[in-house]
Amino acid sequence: MSKDKEVLYSELSQAVLEMDEERSVHISGEIVAEQYDAYEAVVHGLADGMDRAGRLFEEEEYFIPELLMCSDAMYAGLEVLKPHLKREESGGRKRVVIGVVEGDTHDIGKNLVKIMLETSGFDVYDLGRDISPQKFVDKAKEVGAEIIAVSTLMTTTMDAMAAVVQLLHEEKIKDKIRVMVGGGPISQSFADKIGADGYAANAAGAVRLAKKLAGGA
Amino acid sequence: MNELSPRERLIRVLRRKKTDRPPVICTGGMMNAAIVDVMNKTGHTLPEAHSDEEMMAELAADVYKETGFENIGIPFCMTVEAEVLGSEIDFGTLSCEPKIARETYPSVSRMEFKNMQALISSGRIGAVAQAAYRLSAKHPDVPVIGSLTGPISTAASVVDPLTFLRELRKDKENAHRVIDYVSRFLVAYAQLLVDNGAAVIAIGDPTSTGEILGPKMFEEYAVRYLNKIIAGVHSLNVPVIVHICGNMKAVRHLLPAIGADAISTDALVNLRLLKQDFPGVTTMGNLSTYLLQFGAPDKIAGQAERLVRDGVDIISPACGLSTSSALANIRAMTDTVKES
Repeated sequence: MSKDKEVLYSELSQAVLEMDEERSVHISGEIVAEQYDAYEAVVHGLADGMDRAGRLFEEEEYFIPELLMCSDAMYAGLEVLKPHLKREESGGRKRVVIGVVEGDTHDIGKNLVKIMLETSGFDVYDLGRDISPQKFVDKAKEVGAEIIAVSTLMTTTMDAMAAVVQLLHEEKIKDKIRVMVGGGPISQSFADKIGADGYAANAAGAVRLAKKLAGGA
Repeated sequence: MNELSPRERLIRVLRRKKTDRPPVICTGGMMNAAIVDVMNKTGHTLPEAHSDEEMMAELAADVYKETGFENIGIPFCMTVEAEVLGSEIDFGTLSCEPKIARETYPSVSRMEFKNMQALISSGRIGAVAQAAYRLSAKHPDVPVIGSLTGPISTAASVVDPLTFLRELRKDKENAHRVIDYVSRFLVAYAQLLVDNGAAVIAIGDPTSTGEILGPKMFEEYAVRYLNKIIAGVHSLNVPVIVHICGNMKAVRHLLPAIGADAISTDALVNLRLLKQDFPGVTTMGNLSTYLLQFGAPDKIAGQAERLVRDGVDIISPACGLSTSSALANIRAMTDTVKES
């Protein structure tokens, strides 16, 4: 007795939302066995589940441990579906260079933003943590990124964010590359002050902002 | 009551006794005031002062004299604990604080548990204890605050942090074992600092915020293990300050469950309202470090005045100070409180 594809997509979305890795793998397997469209399953199942998880995160029902486990369930399903994706839309995908500025200790937020951006269809180049402003700019030029996303958790390292914007101006490519900033001590007014293109308060906000910036780039 | 020494004033506030005015302090550790202006003036510099006990004591004394904060705070980083527990540390530069270069363990189930006595005699623990000893002997009227990195942050500096956060849900048994072990170590470290003259212990735990953990995990892990450490310090009759990062919205209701003698908060928190809602909580904070870095002295003085007027029990920066904050800005804050 085969299930309707819409039912399977919605169950897949639910598995992601409920952080159920095994179930995500199982349903993805069913979708493959039924020869339903893997791309649709990603969009209406996995990505939909992550979207809903992101909303619960913004509503402060889910927190970072939950969001991470949702993304694990999503990736587990994606592994099953990936070989069956017919079209890899690499041409249209926007590129983001992401990293934590020089001197910072933690990269929890950055990793979360990276995962959320990937699940939303961005190609993300993760430089890691303790990254100099020049490295952000060099990497963005190298891969032709539309966006540089810079994060910090400490007030002590906020200056490096301004340096990224400054470098882009010096190299006369600021009009091509948008800069978004985030992290604990950062605010909209700080983003405005250093001339960044946008600020996001959390991972879900970062995805919305990236979509907006990429659309306008 | 004009003759209160800085030490008496702070201890009295933490014991909920009357004072002439709130003390103005900066705990050290995550919130240290070793700014570039001070180091350039005195020549006692970081990163050397992270490891050398004499230099650490000199710089801490410089910070006390130059900034006007009414305490001495050590150390100047959040990596002493993680280093001892096995993580690789990058000691940074004069203006850039140390950080974890690499967490040692990939997961809570892979943690190695070592002997407490061995832990307490390794790494920079001895240097911090010696610095506490020298400083408290030389400045008996000034409270030396020993600053600890909290249990969740320390655990997340030793175990890969993203795996660690997942495992708070997925592998509770081992997560508890790791945090309990870290907490026992922190108690032993705190007790050593107290034995060497620390008058107050401060705990900063930036990984354990309401925004990151949410209320359930905050209660299950943060409150439980903070209280374990607080109890260990209280057994020596020494008060404890706990700093909580973030807006605290998700965990506000849990504040009374934390046995600290004062709760320090970020700039986002309205301390006047917090006092209203929780009259039993001694409040500390929360002058914006953004303002301290970029603001003008008169604006900073105005904010310090407001905090005093709001009845905040201890006045302090709201978060880690930028090393590029100007000395004049810090003085604007400390002078204002002292004149109140």
